Amino acid sequence: MNDRERKNRRASLFYKLKSQGVGHLFMLPWTIGFCVFMAIPIGWSLYLSFQKVSLSSTGLFKYEFIGMQNFKDALFKDNEFTVQITSFFGQMILMIPIIITFSLLVAIMLNQRFKGRFIYRAIFFLPVIFSTGQVLNELFQQGAGDVPFLSQYGIDALVRDNFSGVMADIVTQVLGKIILILWSSGVQILIFIAGFQTISKSIYEAVRIDGASPWSSFWKITLPGIKPFIGLNLLYTTVDFFTFPFNPVMPHIRRNMFNISTGYGYASALAWFYFLLIIVMLLVVLRFLNGSSKAGRA
Amino acid sequence: MKVEIIMKQRVRHLRSLLNGRQAQRVKLLVLGRNTNDGLLAKLFIYFMLTIVAYLYLQPFLYMVSTMVKTLPDLLDPTVQWIPRSIEWENLSRALKGLKYQESVLYTLTLAVIPSFIQVLICSITGYALARLQFSGKNIYFALILLTFLIPPQIMIIPLYVIYSKLGWLNTPFVFIIPALLGQGLKSALFIIIFRQFFQSLPKAIEEAAMIDGASIFRLFFRVILPLSIPACLVVFLFSFVWHWNESYLSSMFLSQDFTPLSVRLEKLETAIFGREPSIEMLAANPVTEGTKMAGAFLIIFPPLLVYMIAQRWFVEGIERTGLVD
Repeated sequence: MNDRERKNRRASLFYKLKSQGVGHLFMLPWTIGFCVFMAIPIGWSLYLSFQKVSLSSTGLFKYEFIGMQNFKDALFKDNEFTVQITSFFGQMILMIPIIITFSLLVAIMLNQRFKGRFIYRAIFFLPVIFSTGQVLNELFQQGAGDVPFLSQYGIDALVRDNFSGVMADIVTQVLGKIILILWSSGVQILIFIAGFQTISKSIYEAVRIDGASPWSSFWKITLPGIKPFIGLNLLYTTVDFFTFPFNPVMPHIRRNMFNISTGYGYASALAWFYFLLIIVMLLVVLRFLNGSSKAGRA
Repeated sequence: MKVEIIMKQRVRHLRSLLNGRQAQRVKLLVLGRNTNDGLLAKLFIYFMLTIVAYLYLQPFLYMVSTMVKTLPDLLDPTVQWIPRSIEWENLSRALKGLKYQESVLYTLTLAVIPSFIQVLICSITGYALARLQFSGKNIYFALILLTFLIPPQIMIIPLYVIYSKLGWLNTPFVFIIPALLGQGLKSALFIIIFRQFFQSLPKAIEEAAMIDGASIFRLFFRVILPLSIPACLVVFLFSFVWHWNESYLSSMFLSQDFTPLSVRLEKLETAIFGREPSIEMLAANPVTEGTKMAGAFLIIFPPLLVYMIAQRWFVEGIERTGLVD
């Protein structure tokens, strides 16, 4: 008996070790890739952001430690960057709720059963297929994304009357490319539709028998049920905006990268500054979402 | 007499009941039992969706109509959607300016090879995260989420230097090698999708294969991967489309010679005029609008074809497999 037990234990230990090895083996490509294409670039760019980088005459980089100077320059000296980043964050704070509400509404409608649903689904997913940055840029430059009724009904003027200078600029900019903003909500619609499938139909039936109206069943069941998906969409949209063709931070970083007087160090500092702002914004919103869901449950 | 009166009353009563029921049926038909399956609600949904669909399609329609407009039509403000005559000049000029044959080939290389690799590598990684037991799994997962959240702007400078040292600039390696090592375009998202999918598979299949003495590799490639074809298709299609549409990284790493379509569209004017167009040149030849739209159309045309064929898997695949969770 004792012998067999020991054998069993040894076998299970061997099995555990083996499965450990297999697990890490399966993760190996990713791990190597993470080190080479993530960890090194991230660390390097963090290092660069504290340096003044210049090219020496022999074509090598010369580093010179300057502490927080790059960040200070970005905040106080570079008047273009601060203007761009505040305006873009203002736009983002407007655009993200628009995208999420819009995709939620469309997803609710597409989730109903009616004839020809697949045609509408195909249409709403179409922009994912051709939202190349360049194509969007060209379309936008030629004014294809304009909504005709904005100027026809004087909404522009209405906005200018009701908001102060900077705010009005942001609002009109967002309204000006509203179609292209709506265009970037294809994946979000899909995520919401997938989210609806996770709520079981029997709950709706039970609530209907209890006499709840569809209106209240939406607020009491659907919305709490898809709260995680709202968070997911929020994350996805924010990440999507990193390479959004109208993100002004991106070309600005590139311009500084190849600029001799500022260079790689300053450009990395700009990128890190942008990232930190994004993280802070995400944390605030996610905390808010979590908090409200806890309050709803209590 | 009495019987007759009673009969009449009965009939009237029955008729009113019937009418009531009919009225109710009509009411049900129009308003529905659930308020969202009645005729009225359906009409409303059709109405709203059609409006939004029109807004959605408008830029695309604009693209197609501008593409075939003649110069007088372009300049005439009364011609808005339907041109008076169709001209193919723009299209042929864009074909030439983009060097279409060559660049489609390049873009296909950049889209197909990394997508295949991504399906393979991301499924392996996703499977490990979903089913295998090993230490530090949560740390791996957290790091994968982190790679999803980090903006490419942060890494683009070091990557540019690394790639240029390795001599990979202007070659497809800038997409292939990172994909091979699980760091390709949106790889983190695909890993999470695969993880989610594998977690939803019943464990019994694997246990049965294990008891039959299959090794883990055999199990994965012979049993699990064939079972997860729907997930593979979704990931492949998304990866293909996103690689095709990629313009940020390719404008950094692939700016010369080996350039995909998106980069060429940016330089279309230069390609047509031979150099940066001056104001006089533009004044002499103001039709670049139509040519650019033709170029844009040429870019979206191949993925549009793929989408028409694979539409079902794109849209239904994701919700049916419950991939996003």
